Amino acid sequence: METLLVITVLGPVVGALGIAVVNRTAPSLSRQIALATTVLVFAMTAILTRSFLVAGSEVLEFAVADLTWLSQDSGADIRFSIGLDGLKLWMFALSALLMITSVLVSWDAIQKRPALFYGMLLLLETGCLGVFAARDIILFYIFFEFTLIPLFFLIGIWGSEQRRPAAIKFFLYTLAGSLLTFLGLLTIIVWVSNAGDSGKLIFSIPLLTEELAIHPLPATLQAAVFVALFAGFAIKVPLFPFHTWLPLAHVQAPAAGSVMLAGILLKIGTYGFVRFSLPMLPVATAMFAPCLLVLSVAGIVYGALVALAQSDIKRLIAYSSVSHLGFCMLGLFALNPVAGQGAMLQMVNHGLSTGALFALVGMLYERYHTRAIDDYSGLAKRLPRMAFFMLLFTFSSIGLPGLNGFAGEIMILLGMFQRGFAEAPLRSGALMKIVAVISVSGVVLGAWYMLWLVQRVFFGPLREPYHDDQHKVVDLNAREILALVPLAVFVVWIGVCPNTFLKPIERPLHLLIQPAAQRWATEMADLERPDNQADEIGLTSIGEIQLDCLDEPEEVCDDVL
Amino acid sequence: MSSNADTLFALFPELLVAVAAMAAMVGGAFSRNATVWWFVCITGIGAAVIALAFGVTVLDGLVALDNLGMITRWAGLILAVLFLLVGHSGVRTKAAGEFLGMLTLVFLGLMLAGVATDIVLLFVSLELISIPTYVLLFLGRSDRRAAEATTKYFFLSVLSSGLFLYGLSLLYGVTGTTQLDAIANRLSSTGASDFVSALLPIAIVFIFAGIGFKIAAVPFHFYAPDVYEAASIVNAGVLAVVPKVAGVVVLIRLASSIAQFETSLIWQIAFVLSIMSMTVGNVCALWQGNVRRLMAYSSIAHAGYILIGIAVGCAETSLGMDNGSGGFAASLFYVLVYAFASLGFFACLAHLKGKDEEEVDDLDELSGLSHHRPWLGGIMAVCMFSLMGIPPLVGFWGKLTLFSGALQTSQSAGWETAVGKWFVVLVIVGAVNAAIAAAYYLRVVGTLYFGDQVGNKGVVGSRPAGYAALVCGVLVVALGIAPSWLMRQCRGVGQRVPQSGSVASVEAFDQSSLTSESVESMLSANP
Repeated sequence: METLLVITVLGPVVGALGIAVVNRTAPSLSRQIALATTVLVFAMTAILTRSFLVAGSEVLEFAVADLTWLSQDSGADIRFSIGLDGLKLWMFALSALLMITSVLVSWDAIQKRPALFYGMLLLLETGCLGVFAARDIILFYIFFEFTLIPLFFLIGIWGSEQRRPAAIKFFLYTLAGSLLTFLGLLTIIVWVSNAGDSGKLIFSIPLLTEELAIHPLPATLQAAVFVALFAGFAIKVPLFPFHTWLPLAHVQAPAAGSVMLAGILLKIGTYGFVRFSLPMLPVATAMFAPCLLVLSVAGIVYGALVALAQSDIKRLIAYSSVSHLGFCMLGLFALNPVAGQGAMLQMVNHGLSTGALFALVGMLYERYHTRAIDDYSGLAKRLPRMAFFMLLFTFSSIGLPGLNGFAGEIMILLGMFQRGFAEAPLRSGALMKIVAVISVSGVVLGAWYMLWLVQRVFFGPLREPYHDDQHKVVDLNAREILALVPLAVFVVWIGVCPNTFLKPIERPLHLLIQPAAQRWATEMADLERPDNQADEIGLTSIGEIQLDCLDEPEEVCDDVL
Repeated sequence: MSSNADTLFALFPELLVAVAAMAAMVGGAFSRNATVWWFVCITGIGAAVIALAFGVTVLDGLVALDNLGMITRWAGLILAVLFLLVGHSGVRTKAAGEFLGMLTLVFLGLMLAGVATDIVLLFVSLELISIPTYVLLFLGRSDRRAAEATTKYFFLSVLSSGLFLYGLSLLYGVTGTTQLDAIANRLSSTGASDFVSALLPIAIVFIFAGIGFKIAAVPFHFYAPDVYEAASIVNAGVLAVVPKVAGVVVLIRLASSIAQFETSLIWQIAFVLSIMSMTVGNVCALWQGNVRRLMAYSSIAHAGYILIGIAVGCAETSLGMDNGSGGFAASLFYVLVYAFASLGFFACLAHLKGKDEEEVDDLDELSGLSHHRPWLGGIMAVCMFSLMGIPPLVGFWGKLTLFSGALQTSQSAGWETAVGKWFVVLVIVGAVNAAIAAAYYLRVVGTLYFGDQVGNKGVVGSRPAGYAALVCGVLVVALGIAPSWLMRQCRGVGQRVPQSGSVASVEAFDQSSLTSESVESMLSANP
């Protein structure tokens, strides 16, 4: 299995090299190679997923391949260490799945420099698979940054009119954040090497998590590292108000780029929070969680309201992503097992539904060359199959019961309400209640803007934008249906039996959010105790400042930080 | 003297390079056949490579064949071959023999700078880089702007050499010897007398001023943009790469010997220079339209990154922290990484022809280049991404070692202490600067890939330059995927190994006595 995982992650690079080889003789062959590679990679991913599920939920890590990369005597024992666990599994599989859709969507749309396009797409696939598979912190960062390069070219070369500023803004914005993330990760590594017994630099994520549980960082340092990690991950998610790069990049990107951006790359941010911030910095997480919840709910409402006002289909879906990712962040920082599982599931759901919606918009654009909502009306008469898929994925996106969106959203809201009304930390209890209540409005607004979009574009009297009559507009062909059907299958599958998909997530997630949740719990217990003595709570090794912090009003805490 | 013979034997590769250079220069007066002299130089370097591979590896005395020395010698030879390929097009000028000879001499200077442990030899080797560069700049282009730039470079370079020499002379004055080991021993045995503590800081300041000019660190950078812009592409490449590598090597050599006797000033200077260079270089590069000017500011910014490592190394040595953060090693690694990526870009430029069969000047002339020359565009993009520090290219590993070294120093000093906080500030400034730098490197990549085709249709100038570019591109990618080997070689550089014999040798030096070699080399430096 380890070998299979390595082949899966590095397979797309081989495909890209193959494309480079045939480029000179037969450039048109590149899309076939790309399709073959992605299908093969997905098949291998399916085998891996299946054997993971067969192995049962007792297995925490699966198919761990731990290869020497930088030898010990070069000063840093950075390893090519990859493996799967319950949290990675679905995002890993989703990356492989969406890549097939991306290739099929681009089949006819990309005429300019096809070899470079499919090469970049395959490199992007390796980047995405690698991010989720990485068990080494530096390897994670390498894949994390590496995804920028192919996407930069995808947006910049094959995008629409404003592609150049969009590509550069996307790259710079993300890079600026992730460089700070890099410093945060390095700080963690250095801290552990100093605090640990061996004195060696440790790069393995599971080992670091264990070590940090024994030697936690002091509270001030945790806060600083949390902010550093936040800079990169929040921009990637994108959390309100760091989302401004997203609509521009989405609108300008080619269909395949949008599918991958919305489907996978945004989730790297949320995944980063789950993998690093929550388990490694529990004190800071508990400290900042109220702020993050407020930002998430602001993103939910703001994204939905702005989506309502859009006249461009792609821009509307881009803002809907801001809103949906707000739900994911809300679920994570509710620090509640139910909400957390919902958030992890919602990451997959959003990838499926929004990925499919972007693919559909790409198909529409290919036919009429406009994205303005006002140019269309009643397309269901002309394109019934497309209307069917559009409606299906819209329902999935707004969380109709029976489809995948419902399971995720209801769990997030349930968990959030539980956090807000049953087990709120005293200090921010009122805030949590307000957040929980407001977040529900996101569901309503989401249904409004999505259904309104479908109504305006696909129903009513038929009105098509001007197009030359030489090429008659036809409904979805077999290739396009093939691009959407796998996504539709999973939309229904997750909707009907979400438990299959939740089961592997449950335990690893619990382990990761437990420290931070416990921190809140001790905080509550601590405040309820009459003598208010803090020195007996579990986390004795945490610095004095934090303990003082608990007794002071919030403003003072902020000053200390 | 047998030790002289040993030294000469150890420097056999350098001698071969020198012979080739001399042959080209002297012979150039008799035969104008450029290709012959090009092959003579290449043969000399090839012979030197063989001599180096099978030559002496252990020696005490005037030269040190330690890791730092050997890496620099290998880097010098590899860079020499690459630059001869890039400069192949420059061969068609009238003074081909002189051009090639001078170009080869520059790398001789680089190799000597790596092995020199005597401050006089250090100075001479740096001059061996500077003096041929003056000639190269005059030979490269012959318009008024080039003449102005060359004059500017000449005067400022001479001034900086003077400052450097003055710093070295103070070092000699304090200790009475020119051998670095002996200097360190003398300083440790005299302890902190008023005499030493008064003069050593002045010496350090002057040394940093001199080296700062070589590596184009702010505020000694003013010449760089003008001179690069007016120089030919080959010369701009030489200026961007060779003095920087040599300067860093010499700085590591000097700083690792004397840092422990000056506990704060030495790393503080490196620290301040580093922050200034990074920020000024990156910010000014943002609005440059001329490729060589852009690369000049990029070169200034990278001097700043390198100085992070120097500051870390100095702080580590002077505060007596033995935490293996390896600041000096990181600097050396980074400068080599920078050299290959930067040279790769210059080689691509040299491979092209711009408007009117001239060299490429404006960034806009590269617009849409990758459509017609995908491989060339690819190499340029790879070099740019490496300079940006994006994984999996080798530039990323450079930044990784620098930043993690600085964080380790901060940690060893304690997060709460002033030193610890300053190093965190340094790293944050470095990271922010890396983001700023991405803006102008992306502009180059954007022009190559997203721009509309104008002007240049990818007309090929010099074919050998293309090979050099390809080698650099492959190196940048290959070292990015497997950086282990180079990191291992660089590791341990600049860590002082106490030598049992050197204490005795200090006693042998009298206050007034110089070794005969150093007197000779001193004389040859002042014609």
